[in-house]
Amino acid sequence: MSNDYSVVGKRVTKVDGFKLVTGRPAFADDIAVPGMLIGKILPSPYAHARITHIDASKALALPGVHTILTYKDVPRVPHTTAGQAWPEPSPYDTYLLDSKVRFVGDRVAAVAAETRALAEEALRLIEVEYEVLPPVLDMEHAMDPGAPLIHDEPDSTGIFDARHNLAAYILQEIGNVEVGFRAADFIFEREYRTPRQQHCSIEPHVTLSWLDADNRLVIRSSTQVPYHARRQVAMILQIPVQRIRVIKPRIGGGFGGKQEMLLEDICGALTLATHRPVKIEFTREEEFYMSRSRHPQILRIKMGVMHDGTIVANHLKVLATTGAYGSHSSTVQGSTGSKVLPLYRTEHMKFECHVVYTNTPVAGAFRGYGCPQGFFAQESLVDEISHDLGMDPLEFRRKNFIHIGDIDNLAAQLGEGKKGLPRTIRSCGLPECVERGAAAADWERKRKAPQDPASHIRRGIGVACSMQGSGIAGIDWASALLKMNEDGSFNLQVGASDLGTGSDTVLAQIAAETLSVSLNKFIVYSADTDFTPFDVGAYASSTTIISGGAVKKAAENVREQILRVASRMLETPVENLTCRGNQVVTKCECKKSVSMTDLALHAMYKEKTQIMGHASHFNTDSPPPFCVQFAEVEVDTETGRIRVPHLVTAVDLGVAINPMQAEGQAEGAVLQSLGYALAEEMQLDDCGRMINRGFADYKIFTAKDMPKLTTILVETEEPLGPYGAKAIAEIPINAPAPAVANAIFHAIGVRFRKLPIRPEEVLRALREKETNEEASSVEPAGAPMSRATRRN
Amino acid sequence: MAFEHIEAFLRPTSIPEAVRVLRREGRRARVVAGGTGAALRENRTIRTLVDVSRLGLQYIRRKGGGWAIGAATTMCALEESRQIREFASGILAAAAASCGSVQNRNMITLGGSLANAWAAGDTATPLLALDASIVVANSRGRCRVPLAEFFLDPNCVILNGALLVEIAIPAPPRGGRRGWSFQKLGRTESDISIVNCAAGLQVDRAGKCAWARIALGAVEPTPLRARQAEAALIGQTLSADSIAAACDALMQEIQPIADFRASAEYRREMSAVMARRALRECAERAGCPL
Amino acid sequence: MKTIAIRVKINGEAKEWIIAPGDLLLDVLRREGYWGVKRGCETGECGACTVLVNGRPINSCLLFAAQAEGCDLLTIEGVAKDDTLDPIQEIFLEHGAVQCGYCTPGMILCTKALLERNSAPTEDDVRDALAGNYCRCTGLRKPIEAVLAAAEAYRANGGKKTARAVKARAR
Repeated sequence: MSNDYSVVGKRVTKVDGFKLVTGRPAFADDIAVPGMLIGKILPSPYAHARITHIDASKALALPGVHTILTYKDVPRVPHTTAGQAWPEPSPYDTYLLDSKVRFVGDRVAAVAAETRALAEEALRLIEVEYEVLPPVLDMEHAMDPGAPLIHDEPDSTGIFDARHNLAAYILQEIGNVEVGFRAADFIFEREYRTPRQQHCSIEPHVTLSWLDADNRLVIRSSTQVPYHARRQVAMILQIPVQRIRVIKPRIGGGFGGKQEMLLEDICGALTLATHRPVKIEFTREEEFYMSRSRHPQILRIKMGVMHDGTIVANHLKVLATTGAYGSHSSTVQGSTGSKVLPLYRTEHMKFECHVVYTNTPVAGAFRGYGCPQGFFAQESLVDEISHDLGMDPLEFRRKNFIHIGDIDNLAAQLGEGKKGLPRTIRSCGLPECVERGAAAADWERKRKAPQDPASHIRRGIGVACSMQGSGIAGIDWASALLKMNEDGSFNLQVGASDLGTGSDTVLAQIAAETLSVSLNKFIVYSADTDFTPFDVGAYASSTTIISGGAVKKAAENVREQILRVASRMLETPVENLTCRGNQVVTKCECKKSVSMTDLALHAMYKEKTQIMGHASHFNTDSPPPFCVQFAEVEVDTETGRIRVPHLVTAVDLGVAINPMQAEGQAEGAVLQSLGYALAEEMQLDDCGRMINRGFADYKIFTAKDMPKLTTILVETEEPLGPYGAKAIAEIPINAPAPAVANAIFHAIGVRFRKLPIRPEEVLRALREKETNEEASSVEPAGAPMSRATRRN
Repeated sequence: MAFEHIEAFLRPTSIPEAVRVLRREGRRARVVAGGTGAALRENRTIRTLVDVSRLGLQYIRRKGGGWAIGAATTMCALEESRQIREFASGILAAAAASCGSVQNRNMITLGGSLANAWAAGDTATPLLALDASIVVANSRGRCRVPLAEFFLDPNCVILNGALLVEIAIPAPPRGGRRGWSFQKLGRTESDISIVNCAAGLQVDRAGKCAWARIALGAVEPTPLRARQAEAALIGQTLSADSIAAACDALMQEIQPIADFRASAEYRREMSAVMARRALRECAERAGCPL
Repeated sequence: MKTIAIRVKINGEAKEWIIAPGDLLLDVLRREGYWGVKRGCETGECGACTVLVNGRPINSCLLFAAQAEGCDLLTIEGVAKDDTLDPIQEIFLEHGAVQCGYCTPGMILCTKALLERNSAPTEDDVRDALAGNYCRCTGLRKPIEAVLAAAEAYRANGGKKTARAVKARAR
């Protein structure tokens, strides 16, 4: 396993660590570009309106204002902002600037001015008249006959049914769930609701653009998807891809919010209009409501089970809203089905989903990508079922888990925009995750521990499991370029986007291991569309397995070249040589060797050849990581406050290339999920305006809220991954929320099926329970619930 | 953030000079003690900033059994002061320590939080329980305004052309068997209060409550004293029942606000919960645990 | 527009800056090339803009630059000595407490300020010290462990800061 290697599997520090701890200028905004103008976007104050009159003349007259763009000034090119491989499966329903606005915060105009103050002043001087239209704010009514049409423009494409505000519709079935339900001894059906969550990357979206000496448009942006951004900007601004260069510097967090071409187009447009460098940086407030967020969903899940706990049918119906534009609408929701249902083996599975437009902030990619929603529903229901059947929750799951060797056919139904590929499970550490996680969480004892009758605190422990993917099968691909320098060091050039995940380090470790060379010999550069080869970008948990796969291949290619040079230098056949410890050595007794440095000098100056390799890579499968998480809770029955003292994560990530970074990824994901469960929600008022658009009002967990976190890396060997690796970036965000909800049930006998679980609601439920004197369940308003029905 | 509309940053070197400047500038001026940039964001009519951090207003002094605290004293200075930590069971230090992060607490001043009615400033609550007053320097000299009265003035008229220079805390009632407590409830550990409560009481030899002070913050637009709850306790034997009765009275007398953080009903109930916890802790600290 | 001159000592160097009266310290610092001071929220919540003023952590997004007149400022740029990292910086790296690095300068400065006042902080002390440094990447576990480890290292050296030379390379 990872113990066999010299660099892979080691807790090495990040290759970019020095510049991060010293605060060296490395992020998008850390440069002073002479002549730079400040760009700002005028946001719509209305959720749904037509612009009937727009006059920027007063603003333009302000000295220091260089340009103002409105829909009249720019080409009208329908596109999606979703950072996805071409052809993107999201609808082309977005415009650089439009004469209609579809959410509070939508673009009305853009200005470039000498200073921030001037830009803000200019925004105030732009005169706009709106024909205010009735908004659709409630996703449950978006498809009603007579509902206002959000996308009534003729030129958008890829919308499933614009006349019913339906951005996407997904229906997939394996087997026949009705057959399964008829055979079932029990049927359980429940409804769950999940909120709008914001990424809250500490670095907001920021983009700079300028024209270089060759008059090419250079874009330096905090982005996870430099190549997709380049392609989309080219399309939108109607200039050739060749005339654009996108630079991805260090990024201060993304979590999917930067898997989006969000500011690059408008910034580039301002540069083209002014011939000046322009910077657009979102304020935190703008970040909250004008960027992207997690799709809120209403999930209705129905499972048929036998007496002995075997699941025989699983039917998940989802209503989701993508907000005003359809970015990632079909794919996030597709994952809610394809990555969630197959966790439990059953012959009959059905997933149906409507993704509707509403005049609300736009949803997009967010770590987990549909899975946090799906697993909240499925893992909560499974907990209910096991409780009602009198089965231990771990036992129930073990009975139904997917196994190594299984083929997941649902994955074949739900690819990214086209038919997917069936998924074969070649590595699965679920049983070990359960065992080690339960031990670390002290599960057995805590499940049976009695409550302290004198205390107002009730304690509980809950469990939830999940799976994810590692790269999108048949679609995600990457390439790497590796060139050797005369001192035995290497440039590793990758389009992979390290957004803080540590991928530069992990990729260098893979290269170092393959070449048997020290990690400090690598100069990693990511990413720049002029200098680093293509990579789809950082999403879908693809970087380690796909970009890593490309790096490994490139390194293997370079290794062969090195051995051939060494063979000539040492006058011995290649078969007798191997790389070891920054040298090439003979396998035989003669013990000849040459250092990498000497070899490089020889290759360059004697043989006059550049040792250099490149490779591209993709997988036709997406080996899932697996995760089991245990949450302890303390419920304050006087205030309803929930505290999580301990959360255990046991995750099968394949082989951990860098265990320390992997743990860090898991722990960050867990804290985001706890916020999702207990505190985070973008709250909108009756006019579709976000109320809590600041950190004082939208609460994320800080150092004082963080529970004790235990992270267990369960290693399996995945044949499709470099050195056996799979993924860890997203999966730990999927199950803490249901684990917490299940723990709360264990503590106080109340089920919460709506996130976030607010103290007020906990208190209300406790009161109701006291009144009813029996275990009750909290219903989301307006949703009838059918209890378990017994069948013979 | 752009504060290009600010034309001048003045740093008076004496209080009379500061008062003169504030009178002259009127509503165009804003006092800066710690970091009030955020508060200024919404107001583009401010033209002059008046820095009062060099007027010698950072002090914590004993005064006649009570305290005189300079208006520019930071939350950190309060929470770090051993004397303040020991005074009134440390409720003022505890409230100061809950005013946001370390960075916030190094900047927020006692005077600043009172003058701006800053939502996160929980120190008003214990000050109200302690019957504190503010001392205001104006053109006529100095005047003293009880906090309770100050909070009835939503537009802070008393601070027009004047400077809040000191917070005066009178000596608390004498005697043994006294205890104070500060409780706070937010959505997370680092949140602005949904409810906070500062309480104090004294138990006489007969086991009866000699006096009680109960102040609530973040419940109504300004902090308040729960006078009916206090009255319900005084003269009663201190017990779980008498505290419960006082908290019931408290729930009746308050008019809680509702916002996206919490509904009015939740605030009403939590006021009682926080008050009960505070009173129980007071009793414990008074040496009469329930 | 009227400008004013302010004099500060920053990272041990005396500087004079010409500023507008309404300039915020964060903007002035970045304009003067202190790129390690980050912009995250501009409302004094996230702490990415943390600098030490007279040894105390503050949010530079909320301080007017003019308020810093005559003060002693420390930014992340002043923590390491050339290529020699401060033990806090090394320990953060060794513990994996750095992911995207955007919150890191603020955390390191808060750690420095904490350890100057309290060489034996409890975990609760550390949580309080870092509560104003929002981090979305690490889950805060490794940063807290790093601070406790830095405190231990600090005590082991008799309260003296020792800087171990670190070559600027990946290890």
